[in-house]
Amino acid sequence: MNHDPLQWGRPSDEHYGTYNKSIASASPYPSMHTQQPIVTGTSVISMKYKDGVIIAADRLGSYGSLLRFSDVERLFPVGRNTVVGISGDISDMQHLENLLDEMQTENNYDNEYAEDEEALKPSYVFEYLANVMYNRRSKMNPLWNALIVAGLEDGKPFLKYVNLLGVTYSAPSLATGFGAHLALPLLRKIVDSESDVKKTSAEDAEKSIKEAMKVLFYRDARSSRNYSIAIVDSKKGLVLNKDAVVEDMVWGFAKDIKGYGTQNV
Amino acid sequence: MTSIGTGYDLSNSVFSPDGRNFQVEYAVKAAENGATSVGMKFKDGIVLAVEKLVTSKLLVPGKNKKIQTIDRHVGCAYSGLMPDGRHLVNRGREEASSFKKTYATPIPLPALADRLGQYVQAHTLYNSVRPFGITAIVGGVDDDGAHLYMLEPSGTYWGYKGAATGKGRQSAKAELEKVISNKPELDAREAVKEAARIIYLAHEDNKEKDFELEMSWCSISETNGLHKAVPKDLLDEAIAFAKAENGDDSDSDDSSDESENEKDNEKKDAEGDVQLE
Amino acid sequence: MFRNNYDGDTVTFSPTGRLFQVEYALEAIKQGSVTVGVRSKKFAVLVALKRNADELSSYQKKIIKCDEHLGLSLAGLAPDGRVLSNFLRQQCNYSSLVYNRKLSLEKAGNLLSDKAQKNTQSYGGRPYGVGLLLAGYDNSGPHLLEFQPSGNTLELYGSAIGARSQGAKTYLERTLQDYLELDDADDLIRVAVEALRQCLKDEVLSTKNLSIAVVGQDKPFTILDDEAVSPYL
Repeated sequence: MNHDPLQWGRPSDEHYGTYNKSIASASPYPSMHTQQPIVTGTSVISMKYKDGVIIAADRLGSYGSLLRFSDVERLFPVGRNTVVGISGDISDMQHLENLLDEMQTENNYDNEYAEDEEALKPSYVFEYLANVMYNRRSKMNPLWNALIVAGLEDGKPFLKYVNLLGVTYSAPSLATGFGAHLALPLLRKIVDSESDVKKTSAEDAEKSIKEAMKVLFYRDARSSRNYSIAIVDSKKGLVLNKDAVVEDMVWGFAKDIKGYGTQNV
Repeated sequence: MTSIGTGYDLSNSVFSPDGRNFQVEYAVKAAENGATSVGMKFKDGIVLAVEKLVTSKLLVPGKNKKIQTIDRHVGCAYSGLMPDGRHLVNRGREEASSFKKTYATPIPLPALADRLGQYVQAHTLYNSVRPFGITAIVGGVDDDGAHLYMLEPSGTYWGYKGAATGKGRQSAKAELEKVISNKPELDAREAVKEAARIIYLAHEDNKEKDFELEMSWCSISETNGLHKAVPKDLLDEAIAFAKAENGDDSDSDDSSDESENEKDNEKKDAEGDVQLE
Repeated sequence: MFRNNYDGDTVTFSPTGRLFQVEYALEAIKQGSVTVGVRSKKFAVLVALKRNADELSSYQKKIIKCDEHLGLSLAGLAPDGRVLSNFLRQQCNYSSLVYNRKLSLEKAGNLLSDKAQKNTQSYGGRPYGVGLLLAGYDNSGPHLLEFQPSGNTLELYGSAIGARSQGAKTYLERTLQDYLELDDADDLIRVAVEALRQCLKDEVLSTKNLSIAVVGQDKPFTILDDEAVSPYL
């Protein structure tokens, strides 16, 4: 019998081994990791052309199948030569937005060349984001997104992808999410390989992106008619249009669709 | 300085019998010996100007910037020990960044000045650190308009319309008072010129040394509320104006006699205080 | 030798606002052998005079490479120099791994400044006892920086630190307009070596005691020692 009053009621060391005090001082909360996205943004699509890149994403934030938020910006300019397009969880996207904001603020600290030679380049932004994504997945706590970094670097188009797994790749046309299935084949009709980039004009690329956004709005049930489209062009610089709308649609067939929703025919 | 040698001035965080903290007073001396810094408020912003002494012909002109940015909307100039100034600015950046993370809005200038004041004050409390050897002028624009503060080694800070510190502070202050009372409605570009003129004027007592003028501004109309270096053409214009107003016909930026300059360098090396200003 | 009561540590200001411990640290640089740095619009060059402890010992390394585009030479306490060069190597690696970006010389200088400043404001340590010349070529071209233990880092066209370095400084000031326009790296190295000669007293430059480094456009930071320096003697 241990006569120390502080040990009364405690399991005796003799029988149970020394008491592990770290159990008593453990956090009352379970450790929490992201296991699914909540509010989501759908596809980001993009392609290179001879003088730059185009990237587009619609403005919808879906809560499951509920089209919950109708005006969410998912294209983020970083400096003058880069646009980051983000799909997936919107709150994680907002976290990434803060990181990009901080990155830009820090690049301006004591940087005499912040406007030209030492301005942020797309590859800097991409490498950083890819590291963030990979580090988070390695903690088993990913940011639930797929991102496309588009821009101009040393006069050449730059386009790369990274997702919640930390996987990265590059191609002359890229899309995330549903767009990777539905839009990418359409974009590849114009630029399938790197050699096609030189042959593609800004007009053709923009037309192709707009067409792909239309197809996505037709067939992706978590998409919206309003979207943003950004162009980074070697001559015109970075232009972000936040008021693009899918046009020239045909919905005459819709009245004949039967068997869905609440209609009682 | 009658109390020198009584022992109460040998350690920070110690009061003398008459209630003074000597180490803080000595830190003020370090700041007062530094090159002149000026800050001025105008209608919709602030301008910062510093005298950058050219200690060697080998220094790359236009580089070695002294004015720093704390956050996008806040600038900082200081006189005294330049590395201490960098330390303070780094702290300011941490405060600005943490504020933005917490409140999702840029830090208001009064809040920043207060936090920096607390940090500087904390360096007067312990004998394991020394006070900051600088007086810093912090200015910028927030939702409530333009703000200008000057922060002393004791941790005291005051809001100003026009602030000056460093060697030439006396004449700079006198001139600031005149300008601000005579022309209370200065716009950004006028203020830049006046600040340039004041630095040139404050340099008069220190004429044997070469210097460069460095300026930054932060205004709603001219820089969209961002703290930026004054663009080259306006800076040149301001320098021309300053020289004309001060009746300075010789070009101060490159008018040094070589041999004199050499001698100057050697002397400073011997004293070892060149880079400490 | 004792000047006063105010020079015992780094946390005490003198009545005139000076920090003697920091000033003494600057003196430590002058105990080291001389090193000279110079840059043109295309290249940056470092040269240094190496010392040996005695006849049988090797010569103390004076130039350290930090990255493909950046290196430094030192004067003063060599171990302190190694601590700082290791720090810079880490920072270079961090920049390229995380941002795919070359560490700019400006940033490198600021990082060193901030690291050195910490040692001058708190009790229990001492300032670094080494001066550094950083040479590198980044996105904005070639740069030469001088670092001091006080936490000041300055960008210069040419500089010299260490014993009797004033001779080289005077030489570099006088010939500034000539070497700034040099197109050829070898010619710039010759200027630097000539500047170094202005600092010699009893020594004679040889393949043993001369160390050279050059960096520039399409030229990674390269250190030349021993026989490789003979063309410049």
